[in-house]
Amino acid sequence: MAPSRSTRISLQSVDLRALDYLTSPSANLLCPICHSPLITPVQTRCLHTFCSACISLSLERSLTCPVDRKPLNHDDVTPAPIMIANLVNDLMVLCPNRDKGCTSSCARWLVESHVREDCEYAAVKCAKEGCDGMVERKEAEGECVHEEVECAFCEQAVRKLDIESHYKECPKLDSDCRHCSKSFPNPELSAHKLVCPEEVIDCAASHFGCSYSSRRSELDEHLSHCHFVALTPILQLHTERIETLELENKAIRQKLDILVPPRPLPSQSGTSSAANDSSSSGRDMTSEMQDYTYHLYSEYEQLRSDVERLNAQIRELDVKQDMARFNEGLRYNDEMTGVRSAINGLRMQLHWLVASRRENATGGAGAAGARSVAGSSAGGDGRRMSDSARQVVKL
Amino acid sequence: MAAVKRITRELAEFSNNPVPGVSAGLASESDVFKWNVILTGPQGSPYSGGVFTLNLTLPTEYPFKPPTLNFTTKIYHPNVSNDDKGSMCLGILRSDSWKPSCKISQVLEMAAGLLKEPNVDDAVETSIADEYKNSPDSFEKTAREWTRKYAK
Repeated sequence: MAPSRSTRISLQSVDLRALDYLTSPSANLLCPICHSPLITPVQTRCLHTFCSACISLSLERSLTCPVDRKPLNHDDVTPAPIMIANLVNDLMVLCPNRDKGCTSSCARWLVESHVREDCEYAAVKCAKEGCDGMVERKEAEGECVHEEVECAFCEQAVRKLDIESHYKECPKLDSDCRHCSKSFPNPELSAHKLVCPEEVIDCAASHFGCSYSSRRSELDEHLSHCHFVALTPILQLHTERIETLELENKAIRQKLDILVPPRPLPSQSGTSSAANDSSSSGRDMTSEMQDYTYHLYSEYEQLRSDVERLNAQIRELDVKQDMARFNEGLRYNDEMTGVRSAINGLRMQLHWLVASRRENATGGAGAAGARSVAGSSAGGDGRRMSDSARQVVKL
Repeated sequence: MAAVKRITRELAEFSNNPVPGVSAGLASESDVFKWNVILTGPQGSPYSGGVFTLNLTLPTEYPFKPPTLNFTTKIYHPNVSNDDKGSMCLGILRSDSWKPSCKISQVLEMAAGLLKEPNVDDAVETSIADEYKNSPDSFEKTAREWTRKYAK
């Protein structure tokens, strides 16, 4: 009995959001939430457009508009203008069964019916009565591939669909080795592959540069006189040493990078890049590095000599200052002794003066002279008094 | 599921129109919620010459919840926490200002912009922000030093 048309309606669901579009649609037609062309577009009170499913998801989490964060309620969402829906529904999409081989494309609103009714690659129910398997529509007419059949060799039950791949691993069957075209039972094939004398393999020292390759059976002869193989132990040793050195170098480089800025100073790079513009970048780098090292070294030397010079200057200054202080001290000492003796002299004179004035006060005759002296000194200042006193003393 | 689709779409979009100075990709092919991001220090900033790796983690509720950005390379920056998390404080990444319409490429663009010009008003490291404001020279010196030390 020919399968009726209705059995071949595909139940394969089409996820509109996963569709690939023939041309990339205008950004204005994308939902701000899922970033795909709008599906069942709706519009909010603040006039933003979203997929209906996306905005409900968003409102479940927060009652704000996902674009401008204004308060938004479920009631504020209404279907978008038909024109917008038509624009997105008319976009051309590729059939979701494209990776299975369907090459057709159609407007988005038609894609579901294409898959349901037309697409040759859509999964439909197997035509056989009672079989639950699915087949591609183009194979639905043939016999059911979901029946289990017994493998003719190992007597295992295998679905018809899988029989081809089963033959490749059936334990009772032989398969041919790809290289020596001898037949081996499937379970032994993988072991044989490791020793097949016909397989073309590379020389054991290929990673050291030997480009020789031959069939496994003939390789032994090559190995016995291959220079690379003879050198393998020492090359191995060198590789290991290079690896350790590279590690060490990396560590040192990291330390160096901390100590020295990795790029030359601006003034340096200006001159050196101008000079080395044409040379290859590798040489450029090394010469720049060298220049930079020399520059650093000379700068270091200069700084060191500067420091030494400054140290000497400081020492010299120290000595000078010590001397000056010492000399000054001596001078002050002398002056102090001079002042002290002068004060002593003055004190003596004062004593003498006081004594003589007392004498005058008691004696009547010299009183007038003494009083005139006292009168004049009362009108003048202290200094004049002392002057006059000194004069008196000197007389 | 919707999140996965949007993220794959954004990834494809990002690889078609990459943000200058930023490269990004999935940390592992099987998980679209974890991205590896590499920022190169912009010229003229104290981070120039540095290469900074970040982890971008997207929540399963994406795009309704914001992604998080973590520096795995140590960086001296007012907007990046100076701990082993290295979380980046970006205005639009805070859950109260995040909008589902924001795109990952916008986030990455902002992150790259912050390297060029830190945002002291949004700082997580207030001491670094103060230093950036008050003594830019010493800030720049330390930032440069850290870049040399950690971001090579």
